[in-house]
Amino acid sequence: MSEAAFHALAEPHRRGILRLLRGQPRSVNEIAEQFDITQQAVSQHLKVLRDAGLVAVRPQGQRRLYIVRPEGLAGLRDFLAEFWPDNLQRLKQAVESGEPANDGA
Amino acid sequence: MAGETVTATVHIDAPPERVYEYFTRPEAIVRWMGDYAVLEPEPGGQFTVDVKGAPVRGRFLHLDPPHCLLISWGYAGSDRLPPGTSTLQVRFTAEGSGTRVILEHRDLPPAERAGHASGWTHYLARLAMAPTGNPGPDPGMPAPDAAQL
Repeated sequence: MSEAAFHALAEPHRRGILRLLRGQPRSVNEIAEQFDITQQAVSQHLKVLRDAGLVAVRPQGQRRLYIVRPEGLAGLRDFLAEFWPDNLQRLKQAVESGEPANDGA
Repeated sequence: MAGETVTATVHIDAPPERVYEYFTRPEAIVRWMGDYAVLEPEPGGQFTVDVKGAPVRGRFLHLDPPHCLLISWGYAGSDRLPPGTSTLQVRFTAEGSGTRVILEHRDLPPAERAGHASGWTHYLARLAMAPTGNPGPDPGMPAPDAAQL
């Protein structure tokens, strides 16, 4: 955990932004809608998070989406140690929810 | 390449043949992981999945349907885990009327420093409880400027 990352996480809005982005990538506008702060303030928080290596930007068409960097926090291993159990649960739900993934489905 | 391993397992109420497809068919994999996928399930074929925007890039190294898959796993643009660095082994074993999936993600770079290993949830929860020591300069929260309106 770098100093920059620690500093970045010491602010509640930035922790909130990270939690939000963990769910799915979002644009600045979409992030700002979730908080009672201006879009400008959100942009500044995102800059701090980017400088700390905690989030990254991915262009998608005309939009710029912010994502959590998988290796951004303490360790890649820790990220994956949560990632895989979560995703296997999603796999279980997907398979058991019925519809076989057949051709032409 | 001697690195760390993450293991995860789950029981799924469906036969191995069916579960296996959720790793080898794009339209099936995106139902549980990622929103875009290009999969070429043959030795050396590409394994491309964008997971919540994170670009996973790898190759199918070994296929033994419907028992086992070996896939290389990395992130495009990542310094710590670029494509080709780590290996994912997924085993599918009949268990009762369903399947036991055992996943091993191997050859992960070792944590930089022991003792700093704490997952997202744990770390964020701990930090939220900690008193804010020295917040430093805060670029957020511009002063209200209603007077300018």
